[in-house]
Amino acid sequence: MSDVKPAALEAERLSVLRGGRAVLSELSFSVAPGEVYGLLGGNGVGKSTTLLTFLGFLKPASGQARVQGRPVSEDVAGARRAMAYLPESAALYEHLSAYENLAYFLELAGLERDRAAMEAALDRVALRPDAREQALGGYSKGMRQKVAIALALLRDAPLLLLDEPTSGLDPTAIDEFHDLVRALADGGKAVLMVTHDVYGACQVADRIGLLKGGALVGEFAAGPAGSISTEQVHRAFTAGAPA
Amino acid sequence: MSVVRQIARDEARYWRRSQLAVAASVLFLLLAVVTLVVTALRISHETTLRAHHQAEAEAAFLAQPDRHPHRMIHYGHFVFRTPPPLARFDPGIDAVTGSALFLEGHRQNSASFAEAGASAYLGGLSWLTPALVYQLFAPLLLIILGHGALAREREGRTLQALASLGITPGQLVLGKGLALGAALGLALIPLVLTVALGVGAGEAFAPALGMIGAYALYLGLWAGVALLFSSVLAERGAVLVALTALWLALTLLLPSLAVNNTERLVPIEGKTEGDLALLSELRKLGDGHNAADPAFAKLKQDLLDQYNVDSVEALPVNFRGIVASKAEADLTETMNRFAEARMRQEAAQNSLLARHGWLSPLLALAEASRALAGTDLANHHRFLREAEALRFDFVQRLNGVHAEGLSYLDDVRRSSDPEAEARTRVSGENWQVLQAFRFEPQAPAARLEAAGESLLILLVWCLGLMLALKRFAGRLAP
Repeated sequence: MSDVKPAALEAERLSVLRGGRAVLSELSFSVAPGEVYGLLGGNGVGKSTTLLTFLGFLKPASGQARVQGRPVSEDVAGARRAMAYLPESAALYEHLSAYENLAYFLELAGLERDRAAMEAALDRVALRPDAREQALGGYSKGMRQKVAIALALLRDAPLLLLDEPTSGLDPTAIDEFHDLVRALADGGKAVLMVTHDVYGACQVADRIGLLKGGALVGEFAAGPAGSISTEQVHRAFTAGAPA
Repeated sequence: MSVVRQIARDEARYWRRSQLAVAASVLFLLLAVVTLVVTALRISHETTLRAHHQAEAEAAFLAQPDRHPHRMIHYGHFVFRTPPPLARFDPGIDAVTGSALFLEGHRQNSASFAEAGASAYLGGLSWLTPALVYQLFAPLLLIILGHGALAREREGRTLQALASLGITPGQLVLGKGLALGAALGLALIPLVLTVALGVGAGEAFAPALGMIGAYALYLGLWAGVALLFSSVLAERGAVLVALTALWLALTLLLPSLAVNNTERLVPIEGKTEGDLALLSELRKLGDGHNAADPAFAKLKQDLLDQYNVDSVEALPVNFRGIVASKAEADLTETMNRFAEARMRQEAAQNSLLARHGWLSPLLALAEASRALAGTDLANHHRFLREAEALRFDFVQRLNGVHAEGLSYLDDVRRSSDPEAEARTRVSGENWQVLQAFRFEPQAPAARLEAAGESLLILLVWCLGLMLALKRFAGRLAP
């Protein structure tokens, strides 16, 4: 019997068509528990498509997307339960306060969390206490993102899918966010972050996959123990091949 | 709490925080309550007034002094159509058909408006009845509440967030539908209270429940339409525009076109043409005031033969009274033939118009509503027939008094001989032949049957919509 744990997320020769056009082409990568994987690429290369395929919103034309070792197509609901997904713009209700949003989404997910737990999650994402009872209609993008992250924390899902999570955030908020993601990964979560932010990816990711034209054109170890510098990744991003 | 109920609860919370939804709800309820109160007061007033007029007319007839019975035939009598209990919700065609009828010998008069104050109801928004408020404006409320139900989730990308939590499109649509159903239920409260008052005033349960059911179906249909459009179109603005256009088409444009189409397919001749044709037929009959009219020669001979006498003077009955009775029967037969033909045409027109409910559910609801309330065309025809039966009955009973109670010779001489004239005055006790009149709408079962086809149309609309919702909302993609 093998001791090797299955990858938390795995794309195996994954191809996806959208509107008859191949958006992903034989994409293969995996994310292990406790790892932050940065899927880096420009606009329209298939980053969000990859996330939507793991979520079961898109079906592969060929290949497989696996969540915790199981093809998504076999158990979409189970796969979704295992993942907390943060889209680029936090998908929350503007007529509800932060607390109400958290309570509503958690109820729908069938999770029971008391007020103290919500308070703790909002403390952890550093959302201003005086804003927590206000409707999200008056929130900045960064504040909304914090609520969405608090929701992900409260759901305590083993996998985090982040779609351009720092887009539109100020530098301080970006740093805070990266620290939080790092802490979550260190706590055992598997994090797949798709982004076009080279420096952000290098700052937080353990590994970076470079996506171009729907195919993975390079994969690098990053972070403090990484084998490649931010400048090299940047050159690869702009040139299309590793230096 | 189930996911569906949680979604419904949040939708209601959204409405409570939406100025548009709150304003629309308050305005609708205000409109419904005001029209209900105003209409209930008006109908209550009219019921009392018409009952009073009826009693007064009967008392006046019975109080007439001794006189020639034929003068009483021309003295005539009024009958009034008292509104049924559910008329306080749907007065139906009362406002356009008239509610009072003058009954007299030799003619069938048209219904007219009895109340001195009726002209006050002809201006302003007196046409705005509670039924019309529910038929026209309740759908608008549901459009305002429901247009964003699903489109808002798509626009805010929460559809994706919900799906990522495992919420299915079916659960989402059911939750939103439950919320709209609850709103619909609240909107129906004024109607339910009014109908309950109608039951308290003597209405049977079956039509009352049928009335509530018909409006629930109609509003459920609009809630479904709002959900369907909200699930199919991408943006709230587009949904609102499309639903408003549909509302205009189904509640204003199509009913108007349906009326024109009905008039074209089932034409009815105008009143003047009809009256002229009737007059032409009546002229072929004998003059009941002239016993010497050749049209009654055979009648005269038959009577002479029957009683084996040589002259009308020798008859044991007053020949003039017999002629009047025969003439009235002939006239009535002809007038009824024309009246029934016209009513058949009107009923055919009405039936065809109601069948346009397949195109516009408002027409189906309006027909069902009037039928259940007892304020539809069929009940107006029933009033006309009952009034005519009463007219014919008392006219013929007076002709009977004329034939049996008066001497023919006195009758002939009464213009020139005061003593003979005095003897032709019969006792006022004879006026008791007049039967009391109290109009009652069709029995509950008959009204339900009359509303059946329209209710079926509404049901088919609802089923079709549910199928469409199942088909399209199931495809709700994040």
